[in-house]
Amino acid sequence: MLELLKKIVKAPAISGREGAVADVISALMEPICDEVYRDKLGNLIAVKHGSAPEGERKKIMFAAHMDEIGFFVTFIEDNGYIRLAPIGGINFVAAAYTNVIFANGVKGVLVPETGTKADALTFDKFYVDIGAKDKKEAERRVKIGDYFVIEPSVTRLCGKRVAGRPLDDRVGCAIMVETARRVPTPRDDVYYVFTAQEEVGCRGAKTAAFAIAPDVAIAYDVTGTGDTIGAKPMAVKVGGGAAIKLKDSSVICSTELVAALETAAREEKIAYQIEILPYGGTDTSSMQMAGSGCMAGCLSVPTRYIHSGVEMIDLGDVEACVALTAAYLVRA
Amino acid sequence: MKENQLNGIELLRALCLEFGPTGCEHNVAAMIEAQLGDICEIRRDRMDNVLAHLPGSGPRIMISAHMDEVGMMITSIDDQGYLRFTNVGGIDSRVLCGRRVQVGTAEHRIPGVIGAKAIHLQSADERTQTTPVDRLYIDIGASSREEAEKYVDIGDFATFDSDFVRFGQDDRLMRCKAIDDRLGCAVMIETLRALVARGGERPYDLWCSFSVREEIGKSGAKVAAYAIKPTYAIVLESTAIADLPDVPANARVGEVGKGGALSIADRSTIYDPAMLEFAMSCAREADIPCQLKRYISGGNDAGHIHKTGDGVRCLAISAPTRYLHSGSCVAAVADYEHIREMVLAMLKNWDKMN
Repeated sequence: MLELLKKIVKAPAISGREGAVADVISALMEPICDEVYRDKLGNLIAVKHGSAPEGERKKIMFAAHMDEIGFFVTFIEDNGYIRLAPIGGINFVAAAYTNVIFANGVKGVLVPETGTKADALTFDKFYVDIGAKDKKEAERRVKIGDYFVIEPSVTRLCGKRVAGRPLDDRVGCAIMVETARRVPTPRDDVYYVFTAQEEVGCRGAKTAAFAIAPDVAIAYDVTGTGDTIGAKPMAVKVGGGAAIKLKDSSVICSTELVAALETAAREEKIAYQIEILPYGGTDTSSMQMAGSGCMAGCLSVPTRYIHSGVEMIDLGDVEACVALTAAYLVRA
Repeated sequence: MKENQLNGIELLRALCLEFGPTGCEHNVAAMIEAQLGDICEIRRDRMDNVLAHLPGSGPRIMISAHMDEVGMMITSIDDQGYLRFTNVGGIDSRVLCGRRVQVGTAEHRIPGVIGAKAIHLQSADERTQTTPVDRLYIDIGASSREEAEKYVDIGDFATFDSDFVRFGQDDRLMRCKAIDDRLGCAVMIETLRALVARGGERPYDLWCSFSVREEIGKSGAKVAAYAIKPTYAIVLESTAIADLPDVPANARVGEVGKGGALSIADRSTIYDPAMLEFAMSCAREADIPCQLKRYISGGNDAGHIHKTGDGVRCLAISAPTRYLHSGSCVAAVADYEHIREMVLAMLKNWDKMN
């Protein structure tokens, strides 16, 4: 799992520019799926046809988003510094003084204008220094419209804990790849959808779900926790097992699906916890309401420090999500 | 050329001067239908979008520009005959006071002026603050509620009342209300005419949507896209450009006169990278100026279009415009021509789009 995750986090891919990570995942899914294709918004869709007779198979859609928060280049100053616009919910306190990498491999550092106070850290106070002498040198490496991300990393910590980025939501992508490997012959038709543009409003999942028109949809994403110093009360903790979502700000999950997931977890003795996220949104709501709607839910990986360079997860929770999904597919 | 057919800036002038606040686009729609005549199949949908269809074999392309303009709606009439109003679409309250307006409906309108309490009657606080819209009123010259009610009903609309003026060296700039987005409408009309005149087989199936209600919720384009089900969409817009003395270079968005501004992303859409690249290469090859928008803000019809059905690949080309959403939008004549040529260049080379 760790090796898989390391492979998937490496490709920089902000919302709307998911091609690089789609290439990596596509290569992993092609040998184990019947069909792999991309749609107009850049979703990567891998289909595994079920073993049950035609007409008796459900359409099950799994979704994890490929995109990460990041930045577009908007302007290059005369002195070679690069101005930017944020894509997705960037935490600029976390983004200050970090290493960044462009899609073409150019590296730089993301810094605020000298003298900017901590409470005034907004995107227009930031620039990237790629070490260029002047505008001319900068323009040889980077152009307006290019994108960059905070440098990806995965660091092993105590036990099964891992920190790095973008675990949101490459860990969800890894869960889906691993599930596809572990359930080579599902009963139902399974659509593994690696979605685009989640971080800017769950856009890719909406059009993918419209096209697929699934009976059941499950999103795989990270969720906040209540186990850090200063955290708001929340009964989800890193290492507590797969988090079965009941609600977040954008969705109330299907009670039938939640019950089915809980039953599967209990019967297979898979660690799980119930997630009620008092904020946030995921692809779940987009899928629930696409077309004429579907039964939708979400399995989350409890994650500390989301949208920073040190997002932290427990690989035991990740394994629980895979095991629970496999158990659900048998019972669906 | 047909009688009454307007071309180029004359067409744009007529469209800008027409009354068409969001939700009251009938006059603009009628003018567009008259200008298109019978060159192609035209229909109106249930929301009053005007949809023009040029059939062809190949992927379906939707071009969208919105007919509506920002304006006001009358909310009450007071005892002295003054009209209270609310904004229709996003208007900076600072551009309202003292402006001439037309008040009424598609059928009938009267002149008015937006007023506020005179400065010597304002409190110290009021003088330093922008007068909010609920403390402004429209004066239509009525001396009582009864007199005002003869001309105006609650729910009537108002728009800025402005002339279309060309100015600057060689008359290179133009100033009027509603350049946002009658400019896009004019480009679509001239594009359709040019394609019909060119004739021949088309490697695409083209739908032009003259959309309603962009300024409030972009709902017209949403239903039009659902009905058309395009693979590609090109949104023609006007964008606030801020090439102004007190704006730092990195926040200027772009420059008036340097060609259509192509969006990388805005608050509602991340544009299709391949279409963006294709548009720039078409412009380069035909030597048409264009620029990339340097700022990520705002939104347009693409926000709904790209999420419609199983998804639509979108591009937005905007006319760089100063003082957007005021009675005096300023844009460059050359940019109108650049955008028109760019759309035609793209359609001509569409077989190279992938």
